[in-house]
Amino acid sequence: MWFYILRRLLYNVPVYLGIIFFMMLALRVNDPIWAFLGKNASREQYEAFAAKAGLDRPFLSQYARFLADLATLNFSAESWDQPGKSARDLLLAAIVPSLAITIPALILTSLVSIAIGLAAAHFRGRWVDRALMIAAVLGMSISVLVYIVLGQYFGAFWLKKHFGWSPFEIAGYEPGLSSWSTYCLLPVLISVAVAMGYDTRFYRAVMVEECGRDYITTARAKGAGAGKVLFVHMLKNAMIPIITNIMITLPFLIGGEILMEVYFNIPGMGRRLLTAIVAKDFPVVQVFTAMFAALFILTNILTDILYAIFDPRVRLS
Amino acid sequence: MIRRIYHSLGVQKFIRNRLALAALAVILLYFAAAGVVLLGGITLEEATQRAGPDNVPGFLETAAPEKRLQFCRFYLEPVERALKKKDPAAALREIAFAERRAAEKPAAELARIVESAFEIVDELSESENLYDQPALLPRLAALEAKVDSLYAPLEGSEVFWRRLRLSLGTDRQGRSIAIRAVYSIKVAVQVGLVTALVSVFVGSLLGGAAAYFGGWMDHLVIWLYSTFSSIPSLVLLAVLVYMFTGSPFEGTLIPVYFALCMTSWIGPCRITRGEVLKLKELEYVQAAASIGFGRLYILLRHILPNTVHLMLINFSLLFISAIKAEVILSFLGLGVKNEPSWGVMINYSTQEVINEFFWQIGAATAFMFVLVLAFNVLSDALQDAFDPRTVLVSAKER
Repeated sequence: MWFYILRRLLYNVPVYLGIIFFMMLALRVNDPIWAFLGKNASREQYEAFAAKAGLDRPFLSQYARFLADLATLNFSAESWDQPGKSARDLLLAAIVPSLAITIPALILTSLVSIAIGLAAAHFRGRWVDRALMIAAVLGMSISVLVYIVLGQYFGAFWLKKHFGWSPFEIAGYEPGLSSWSTYCLLPVLISVAVAMGYDTRFYRAVMVEECGRDYITTARAKGAGAGKVLFVHMLKNAMIPIITNIMITLPFLIGGEILMEVYFNIPGMGRRLLTAIVAKDFPVVQVFTAMFAALFILTNILTDILYAIFDPRVRLS
Repeated sequence: MIRRIYHSLGVQKFIRNRLALAALAVILLYFAAAGVVLLGGITLEEATQRAGPDNVPGFLETAAPEKRLQFCRFYLEPVERALKKKDPAAALREIAFAERRAAEKPAAELARIVESAFEIVDELSESENLYDQPALLPRLAALEAKVDSLYAPLEGSEVFWRRLRLSLGTDRQGRSIAIRAVYSIKVAVQVGLVTALVSVFVGSLLGGAAAYFGGWMDHLVIWLYSTFSSIPSLVLLAVLVYMFTGSPFEGTLIPVYFALCMTSWIGPCRITRGEVLKLKELEYVQAAASIGFGRLYILLRHILPNTVHLMLINFSLLFISAIKAEVILSFLGLGVKNEPSWGVMINYSTQEVINEFFWQIGAATAFMFVLVLAFNVLSDALQDAFDPRTVLVSAKER
């Protein structure tokens, strides 16, 4: 097992090196210093700034330097846009708000869509199944933006105006558990609604496939009740695709939440990165993309390990 | 050849699926609309010009009395201003809200009408709430008649076009929502077609070559796609689009094409690679090799044609994800800027939604919904017909 984990880790090293390489290259195509200083800056200003930021050295040396920084977790590069703050400060401040949305959204989405998937598979071919699947396709065809815009309108404006009940704030964020539901619950509910269409369809397909397997027939023949077959036999065997899907969703949730964070003004990682891109805050963009990619790869490795735990055959291949 | 394809099991199964054929018809309709826009059926100027007052409601909703008063004022003011100029006749000729132009009447007569109209406006403006005073409504109607007489009557097909233009209302800048929504079809279809075609082509070729040639080629392609897929797509899209800021392409579709193509070739590449790994062990490939065909020839002539069904499915899925991604990019201000698109419209509508004006977001959503739904139905049908074993190879995106 340990050997397998080590192999997965080693395998991802060149991938990570590649990501950093491409990202750093892409960020330099459009000269970040001119972009930040503006076209009116003088040549001397430019050179002084480049020397200070270490951008005057050859690309490969910058690459090596940045890799060394990453390896030693040294994110002390100063933000251009907010002088005095290092990329590390910004990163640490952004993690909690991001997780405040991502984790509840992931748990809620998985639970609800697995339940609906099970229900649809149980009633497969009948009207309950049809209605659920039609609803899922319709839901998938609506843009995320519409969910966000209308969700915010109905959740934060409409309820207040017509019922005098304001459970949600329009936008913003405050740390602390007590204010979580006012600020974060609405984005979480919206992202659950967005993810629902795809996930229920996927889980239903998985469950329907499992329904036709021999071991289900065997379990039935031995006299197991419908509930036991559904929840004990089938759910356990469907675990692999379920885990894969949840793990695949994890990085996408980070991506998907960027929109929620931007729209609801939640100072999470996605919003911070996007504002840094717009403000041409080069060191922050670089550190944040590197962190996003690292998170992504770590979840990938974690998926592989979970696979290996649930299905020992994987380890050997 | 065509007959053989037509009578194949998959195609027959697809044709029996009525829903899929309907979806295909809808998609062709959208493509035709995009073609008409592209050929100049709706010009960019038409999509960005002022067609009427701000936030005129669409065909189902009658405007509130306050709104109607506001609209009358909107139509009165340019005429009043023109009459005060040195050369009123020339100034009047310049007034144009799409088809609606100032009437060709002597300036003195127009001035009289404007004056009497403003009297009614002043009278109506005094009352706080026009809703509560039904007695004032006939006055409002009289005002509207006066305003109408300031403008030249519409003739023949103009009436129809005018009605069509205002059928879905206007946005915050008085631009026709219907025209903008239809124009956006072009942008969506362009983005979808370019992204899906390029990505499927590049992805299938790379995936096929990786699987068939193996060795370092395989390692290279796997490394390339794991690298690209390890960056969250929205982040990658943002960075790639950002590469173009300051270049002459900024705000056009070129950065969008580029970013979407760079991120979406991965799906078809992975799937084709898996399929070719299976195909290359089959006897017909070994037979072709034993006759002495070159490896590249076998790949292009014998192996890749057998993955056409996967290309079709991927094309359909990528089309959806490209349209959705374009909308999100436009929403974040990273997409097209000088043309209308559904994302731009939804972005604009956020201010209107707060004021309870839903026509713009509704129109953009409805137009996009029908197209994406049609493609979703088509993808399902294609998968059912050509690749029934795979559970769901849906490209996962938001």
